Amino acid sequence: MTADPALAVQVVGLERSYRVGKGVFRRRASELQALRGITFSIERGELFGLLGPNGAGKTTTIKVLTTLLLPSAGTARVLGFDVARQAREVRTRIGYVFGGDRGLYDRLSALDNLRYFADVYRVPPRTQRPRIDELLELVGLKGRERERVETYSRGMRQRLHIARGLLHDPPVLFLDEPTLGLDPVGARELRQTIARLQQAGKTILLTTHYMFEADELCQRIAVISDGSIVATGTPADLKSRISDRTVVEIEAFGASDEMIERLRSVAGVASVSVELREQAQVILVQASRGAELLQPLLRELEDARIGKVVPRPPTLEDAYVDLVGST
Amino acid sequence: MIRLLLSGLRVHFLQLSRSAVEVVSITVWPIIYATVAYYMFGAESDPDVLLTASLGATVMAIWSSVAFSAGGAIEIQRRLGTLELLVAAPIPFGAVLAPITIATSAIGIYALGATLLWGRLLFGISLHFEHPVLFALSLPVAIVAIGMLGLILASTLIFYRAALFLGASFEYPVWLVTGLLVPLSVLPGWVAPLSWLLAPTWGMRAIRESTVGGSPLSALAMCVGLSACYAVIAAVCLRAFERLARERATLALT
Repeated sequence: MTADPALAVQVVGLERSYRVGKGVFRRRASELQALRGITFSIERGELFGLLGPNGAGKTTTIKVLTTLLLPSAGTARVLGFDVARQAREVRTRIGYVFGGDRGLYDRLSALDNLRYFADVYRVPPRTQRPRIDELLELVGLKGRERERVETYSRGMRQRLHIARGLLHDPPVLFLDEPTLGLDPVGARELRQTIARLQQAGKTILLTTHYMFEADELCQRIAVISDGSIVATGTPADLKSRISDRTVVEIEAFGASDEMIERLRSVAGVASVSVELREQAQVILVQASRGAELLQPLLRELEDARIGKVVPRPPTLEDAYVDLVGST
Repeated sequence: MIRLLLSGLRVHFLQLSRSAVEVVSITVWPIIYATVAYYMFGAESDPDVLLTASLGATVMAIWSSVAFSAGGAIEIQRRLGTLELLVAAPIPFGAVLAPITIATSAIGIYALGATLLWGRLLFGISLHFEHPVLFALSLPVAIVAIGMLGLILASTLIFYRAALFLGASFEYPVWLVTGLLVPLSVLPGWVAPLSWLLAPTWGMRAIRESTVGGSPLSALAMCVGLSACYAVIAAVCLRAFERLARERATLALT
């Protein structure tokens, strides 16, 4: 593969498998294929989303691109540098931020964490102090930097992660589910920070399974499922894949698996998914637009208690469910 | 690189100082070793022998700290989720790891102070140093040499999680083989070449000879030489183990 200078990230036929051992006395090794030859590219300055359910291969992709895992086959380049053979060159140009509580020295203050990582990421001593101040301001932690990280809320930790990932001002940022576990206000603030970074010219690869997040932030999206990319395009492109459909949202109580299964065989139904919201099951039925659906659907659910029934136009989440559900 | 080393030492010391378990074990163990050593050599012995015993206890404490904590520190990084971030940094991983192992080894400075004070207060040993300047040089040289040996042990932990126990299992054999517990002369002949390869042997010899008299320079030179060799071996091991860890995905496993 030749490096394309216009591209920040170039992935061609990337595969990654893991050996998994089973058993205590007689260990049997098996191979788990996490990536099955994925291909995609990200332009410089683009905010690109990688969407997929848990275990689809999102984190594996990011770990290969951040040089933490070697590919089993295929190639991946970041700013023209091969992630397997030119790890050092890649590492100086990327920032890696992951979601959750880990990745910080809890017993130290935010300032101590940032100072240490500034040294590790080779930020010149003279520029460290202003850079740290600037980043604390950016992520809204100014004034709290001398408190120990173990006293921080999850949102504050996540913002500190972002500051840590930006210390060396990398042109490419990998954000692996950065809003994981954040409250709605914290998640919104973080999305605003991510949007500002993209406006400042950073190339960003964002993994998430929150559709609205991808819809709001990403210029292009790749949907990954079971180690393969099943669709790539702008949020509008992906939505247009199911623009000829309609979605019926049915709130039900006590719908059995058999009833859900019967819904799938109703004429015109393309896909059925179920979400649990407190006591209720929310059944999302995608079907061809214009199909006469309501009566046949409700007939199959007659033994369950039905709440609200709302027909609505499809969203990106519906497109995602359709893509992931069809693999 | 020096700034990174100092920064790493500071962070690691801060981390250690905020763990009650670490602080208690670091504080108590050297005193226990020193007490055992004084009674092994007998309170009525020659004052020089008692001083040597207390210095031996110091080197034992340094090695124990390295054997346990160097490995433990990698495990802590792995548990905190910082190991991946440090490996993904644009500097050789050895430059991140060395301050951790040297910090654990530098705990020996406290061990020395505590051991000598304990010996002075309880057993009345006289604190006379034959070559005070060389003694002051011997201790940091021995600390760095033992820290670098710890770096080799720690490098295996990037790949093998079970190496934590490997480090711990080296504690007692190294005490024995390097003559910290009993003189090398009472051990079988084949032990001697083995002891020459281990920094605590020469660290102990340099400290002892600068204290009770002798020529500590050759032992100091051996410590410096071994430190350089350990650094090269550790760099090769780190490179190989980092690649294996990237291949087999063991960096994030806890």
